[in-house]
Amino acid sequence: MNVVSRGVRNAFRNRTRTLAITLILSLSIGLALSMLLAHKAVDQKIQTVKSSVGNTITISPAGVRGFDGGGNPLTQSQLDKVKALPNVSQVTETLNDRLTSSDTNLQSSIDLGQLGQRFAARGGFGGGTSGSSDSTTPANFTPPVTVIGTTDPTNLASTQGGGTFSLKSGKVFDANSTDNVALVGTALASKNNLVAGSTFTAYGTQITVDGIFDSGNQFSNGELVMPLATVQKLSTQTGDLTGAVVTVNSVENLSSVTQAVKDSLGSTADVTSSQDTEQAVISPLENVKSISLYSLIGAVVAGAVIILLIMIMIVRERRREIGVLKAIGASNLKVSLQFVAEAVTFTLLAAVIGIIIGVVASNPVTNALVKNSSTSTSSTAAGPSFAAGGGAGGGQSGAVSANGNGNGGGRLGFRLGGSGLRQSVTNIHTAVGWSVIIYGLLTAVIIAVVGSGFAAWSIAKVRPAEVMRAE
Amino acid sequence: MLNVTKITKKYNSGDTTVDAISNVSLKVPEGIFASIIGASGSGKSTLLSMLGALEKPDSGSIEVDDRDISKLKDSALVEFRAKNVGFVFQSYNLIPNLTAIENVMLPMEFAKVPKAERRPRAQELLEKVGLDANKQIRKPSRLSGGEQQRVAIARALANQPKLILADEPTGNLDSQTGKVIFDLLHHLAKSQNTTIIVVTHDLSIAGKTDAKFRLSDGKLVK
Repeated sequence: MNVVSRGVRNAFRNRTRTLAITLILSLSIGLALSMLLAHKAVDQKIQTVKSSVGNTITISPAGVRGFDGGGNPLTQSQLDKVKALPNVSQVTETLNDRLTSSDTNLQSSIDLGQLGQRFAARGGFGGGTSGSSDSTTPANFTPPVTVIGTTDPTNLASTQGGGTFSLKSGKVFDANSTDNVALVGTALASKNNLVAGSTFTAYGTQITVDGIFDSGNQFSNGELVMPLATVQKLSTQTGDLTGAVVTVNSVENLSSVTQAVKDSLGSTADVTSSQDTEQAVISPLENVKSISLYSLIGAVVAGAVIILLIMIMIVRERRREIGVLKAIGASNLKVSLQFVAEAVTFTLLAAVIGIIIGVVASNPVTNALVKNSSTSTSSTAAGPSFAAGGGAGGGQSGAVSANGNGNGGGRLGFRLGGSGLRQSVTNIHTAVGWSVIIYGLLTAVIIAVVGSGFAAWSIAKVRPAEVMRAE
Repeated sequence: MLNVTKITKKYNSGDTTVDAISNVSLKVPEGIFASIIGASGSGKSTLLSMLGALEKPDSGSIEVDDRDISKLKDSALVEFRAKNVGFVFQSYNLIPNLTAIENVMLPMEFAKVPKAERRPRAQELLEKVGLDANKQIRKPSRLSGGEQQRVAIARALANQPKLILADEPTGNLDSQTGKVIFDLLHHLAKSQNTTIIVVTHDLSIAGKTDAKFRLSDGKLVK
């Protein structure tokens, strides 16, 4: 029999007490483990959100969002400066335009509907609605067809309607092409009986359909995607741009590059980054992360205090026995180790139950924390953001109204993306694996060693001669 | 040979200082069965704890085989106790959740006796003090007072110490059992050439020892 086995055996001297100690400690360890798992799960979610929100910066002309507002277009020279900034890995340039019935023989695939009629009536400028009354849609009004001139035709995220590009037939034109070619959304192609190789007229020029794409949403499927240079040439806006999406080489550099772009473009452009959305979504998770960390520390400290008090009680109870052990040749270290072994036994027993409690409770606890935090955050900071997000509806309606009524694709994308992310962040699941058991046992050992530290000090203070005085 | 020279020990009790042991000198030859007698509070236990290296005197020297243990560091005292001193207490002070044989093996562990040697030696000692194999695996709570004291004596002998110190070893026993325990200690002193010093109130026991020291108010009285 050695120090450790004596310590283990001592833990079972009083079985009722051992049971009580084990149960109390297991609650502490269970809570600590739940909080650890919650902390890890939330941290993982934050990383996922960061990677999913992306590392992009959207540039719009100052005062303009899509076809809303007014101002001067961006210029190629401005964008060239942005491209030259450090940590900028890609810049997708776009020039958006709208083709009315006088510009094209294409018919829009979008039904006006109630919203379209309302916005067309209220648009008051551009296309067929120009000069119309505020309350009724003009009888001759035809929804325009949106044209996206872009240097990255397969990246619909940088266009108005967003969505994921999927080529259904034909081919994708070269990003730097100057040919009179276009990719047509499935809805627009269907409406106008277009297939790859077909032609249509736009800006008085014959355009060849290179391919048909599906974006996954009605809005983008009603759009035309053409080479930037072609749209600039045909619409006589050479060198002009209505937007750009800057991709940064890493999320960590997003903030600095956003500031650099703002500094470069000054008041001529509105610059927004995905970091704004990211912060709004992550903020409640950061709160949960902090709460879980503090709770974890609190639970470990509580466990250590429990074991500390228990060990002090035990040391006081066995003061004479400690004196005897020292009298017959045991060193302070040996006696202390025996009591530490006893404390470790208590906590390892508690860890077994605590791990079960932690595994069972971690998911409900995490979800409760996240939901509470999300609710409180959305009722304050996020609330107005969602309200503003309602403007996205205006953007869709604007798309079917006359020229000039629309919404910034970047902002729209961010807001819709942000809303989806907010919903997804409340759906967090803790991962339970072998590491949980290791963490649980590790927590137990830390609690035991910290908790029995004072007991060990008390043991060292017991003088062996006290055993004689007690006689 | 135990040689005590002019040791003193004082305690602070509130604002006053108590002379527990005052200028005590004595010599106990090897293999002697000696007794210390005296009234309660006369300093018997204090003297015994200093002789057993449980605490150091404020002044004076305690030499065991020409080694002054009053000058040893605490860590050296632990080692000295483990290898050279055995204790027998009035209330036995066995470890309650260890069996009799495990109690006897305990000092051997502290004295770093090889593991393989501990159990046979403990069995031998327990048989020597009259505890059969059946009782050797019992915990103290399942042994009588006399049997527990036999285990305590076996434990004191575990590391073949030069010195065994017994504080009222028969104090909790009936007279008949007390006599048996006394005879056992006496026999061990003679057969193993171990110096045994017993603190006792019992003058009849003290009268049978080879040497007798009387303490009164911390001073040795002839």
